[in-house]
Amino acid sequence: MINLARRVTFSLATFIALAVVSFLGIDALPGDGCTALLGRFGSDTKIESCRQENQLNDPVVVRLKNWSTDLISGDLGYSIKRDEQVSEIIIPRLRNTAVMAAVAAVIAFPSAIVVGLLLGRFPQKRSSKVVNQLSVIAMTLPEFVIATVLWLVLSIWLPIFPGVSVMPSNASVLQLLPNVWLPAFTLAVVIFAHSMRTMRASVTNVQTMPFVESAQLRGTKERTTISRHIVPAALPPVMNVVALDGAWLLTGTFVTEAVFNFQGLGRLAIDAISDRDTALILPIILFGLAVYLISSLLADSLARIFDPRLRSAKG
Amino acid sequence: MIRTMNKLQKIFVTFLAFGLISGGLASCGRTSSASGVLRVGNDAGFGGAETMDPYDGNRTWPTINMVFDRLIGVDKDFSPIAELAQSWSSNEDLNEWTIKLREGVKFHDGSDFDADDVVYSINRMIDPEFDSPIRAVLGVITTALKVSDFEVKLTLATGEADLPLLLADYRALMTPVDSQATIGKNPIGTGPFKMEIFDPAGTTVLLANENYFFGQPKLERIEVITFADSQSAAQALAGDQVDLLLAIDGKSSAMFGDEAKFTLQNIPSGDWNAIDFRVDQEPFGDARVRKALRIAADRQVIADTVLGVGGGVVACDTPVWSADPYRWNGDCPKDTEGAKALLAEAGYKDGIDIEIFTSDVEVHMVELVTAYKEQVKDAGIRVTIKMADASGFWDDVWMKESAFVDSWGQRPATQVLNEVYRSTATWNPTGQVDKDLDKMLDEARATKDQAARAKKYAQIQERLFENSAIFLPYHKTLTRAMSSKVKGVEPIVIDAVRWEKISVS
Repeated sequence: MINLARRVTFSLATFIALAVVSFLGIDALPGDGCTALLGRFGSDTKIESCRQENQLNDPVVVRLKNWSTDLISGDLGYSIKRDEQVSEIIIPRLRNTAVMAAVAAVIAFPSAIVVGLLLGRFPQKRSSKVVNQLSVIAMTLPEFVIATVLWLVLSIWLPIFPGVSVMPSNASVLQLLPNVWLPAFTLAVVIFAHSMRTMRASVTNVQTMPFVESAQLRGTKERTTISRHIVPAALPPVMNVVALDGAWLLTGTFVTEAVFNFQGLGRLAIDAISDRDTALILPIILFGLAVYLISSLLADSLARIFDPRLRSAKG
Repeated sequence: MIRTMNKLQKIFVTFLAFGLISGGLASCGRTSSASGVLRVGNDAGFGGAETMDPYDGNRTWPTINMVFDRLIGVDKDFSPIAELAQSWSSNEDLNEWTIKLREGVKFHDGSDFDADDVVYSINRMIDPEFDSPIRAVLGVITTALKVSDFEVKLTLATGEADLPLLLADYRALMTPVDSQATIGKNPIGTGPFKMEIFDPAGTTVLLANENYFFGQPKLERIEVITFADSQSAAQALAGDQVDLLLAIDGKSSAMFGDEAKFTLQNIPSGDWNAIDFRVDQEPFGDARVRKALRIAADRQVIADTVLGVGGGVVACDTPVWSADPYRWNGDCPKDTEGAKALLAEAGYKDGIDIEIFTSDVEVHMVELVTAYKEQVKDAGIRVTIKMADASGFWDDVWMKESAFVDSWGQRPATQVLNEVYRSTATWNPTGQVDKDLDKMLDEARATKDQAARAKKYAQIQERLFENSAIFLPYHKTLTRAMSSKVKGVEPIVIDAVRWEKISVS
């Protein structure tokens, strides 16, 4: 427990430090919310009065203090450019990305673990070798290629799924669902290949270990050997990858969302960056940061549950 | 383990099946693209900050032009035609204009359109406090007065023969009295379509205005669908999810080669790029150096390299575009020897080193400088390309560094010349002061006779080619792509397209 508490504290400190660095970094970039709103032909006097109105002329330390106290009280800030509270912009987009990520995760992770186990257990089969090679290809292809191929095959040649998402910005989950599949498949291909190969390597490694051999020599049934001995020992490294891939599903979907015009957090981030909406960029960065820190904490804790050797005497 | 595997497989299969069914349902929905519905793809231009207020900098185009009308529109040949105005006339000095309005026109909420609305709208456009972008066009108007219910008198700061063309700007739209507070999200216009759902980040829905004064629209409904980037918009057209894209990336046009399914239109436009040289910074104060920099390049090669073959129309440093009635078609071939001679005369016998700033803040800007650099090296002009960050380009580089790329949208001759080239213009990017040019501009806009005026505008453009500090090699040609089911979209700039005449078969 002390160990866990230490890790949480460390993560929190990392978060705070990186949040401050991000704030200062974005602040140092040319342009701010007012130049973003008023654009190329914004006159100096209008930009100046906009800055006055939004307290952008305060010293950076003062703004950092205001921003962080707001953040702690749950106020993500206000987008001058979009004339809206940041939380109201982000939350619907986050929901859309979460639905897509959940679909991708449910498709990819269980099947990756099963396929990885089979490939690790029966490496000599021809089909194992083919699947293994395919997964290498899937891992090395850029997402936009996978996305475009899926679009061409499943939307143009076989018109099963809508090619790009076309929906109102306040779409319900039900309206969202038909648009989720192609982007979710794209993401699923990437994370399937990744986690499947980790599982396969882990199984290959585990099954040569003495405790597996001893179980087999004792005459334990194949099925029991797999479920009691191999899988629990092979899972911890996979959990790490699953946690990181899960974090990526929530934060690394820029390309896939752009290709499919999917109204999620990734597309919002691209929009925010391209029209310099700094107030909106910062919370998205912090969200990504939080997701990664939490997921790596989670991966560690899960590994401890699965692997008794990692539990220290102190607990 | 086998049991758990089976369970997982079952979940997986159920999931896939569900996916296929819901995808199938969705595809049923999309192939039933009803006739009478036009789905227009639109760029996410202002990332959710869009407003329907036509005078606001974040106005959402082309939706505003479906909901509102101008007083005066433009015809295919860019001559003015009546929209909400019925007729117009001016005094001899061209600084007082009387506009008679169409009677019996109603706004979408049933109220009458009359002179009060015109006065209100024009006052908002020219309000220095609100500082609308349209003020750059119509700032020449000093007062708008109601003469009677259907007659308005506009007084100008100076004579302007082409006021009707300026009033045909796509943002010079007529809005009802006291609508400022509500118009951004709940627009009430007189136009061919009424706003049903305004959703600039998703799908905006408009319904036909059956009482439209030019006749009932052929479409029942228009859906304006927003795309994050042009590639996903092109995919949507290929997959029959939209019917019309107003501008596609030239490289995407290969996707729409099937003439049975798609129609492509190449439309010369007035959008241009340029390289600007600050005359208040050396060596660009010297007119000989400026001319050498402008004649040393082959413009056709630059246009072909930057925009693709057929992607642009060459310009000899005139901002007046090819379809404008005042366009001067000069001859400006690459003249390496001439450029060398001019440089030597100015004291640069061994050639000259210059820096040009660019940025990927807009498409074509980096390619333009790269192509230019290649073109002018024969004449001993050695260009160093400086890349500036996109986010600070317009604030810190444009109009400030000694040489930089530039980009402007389409404007009528009188507007672009006065907005960009006049010595006193706020956005004169080169700082060039040419009192003679200013005088020529005053005279041209105050000349009532059309032919005499055209001659004066031609002389102005010739002068620019001799003396200007702006290297302007081309106007861009836009590619418009649509499903072949769409009828009635004429191959002309969108300002002249009549939305009520479009149909989907």
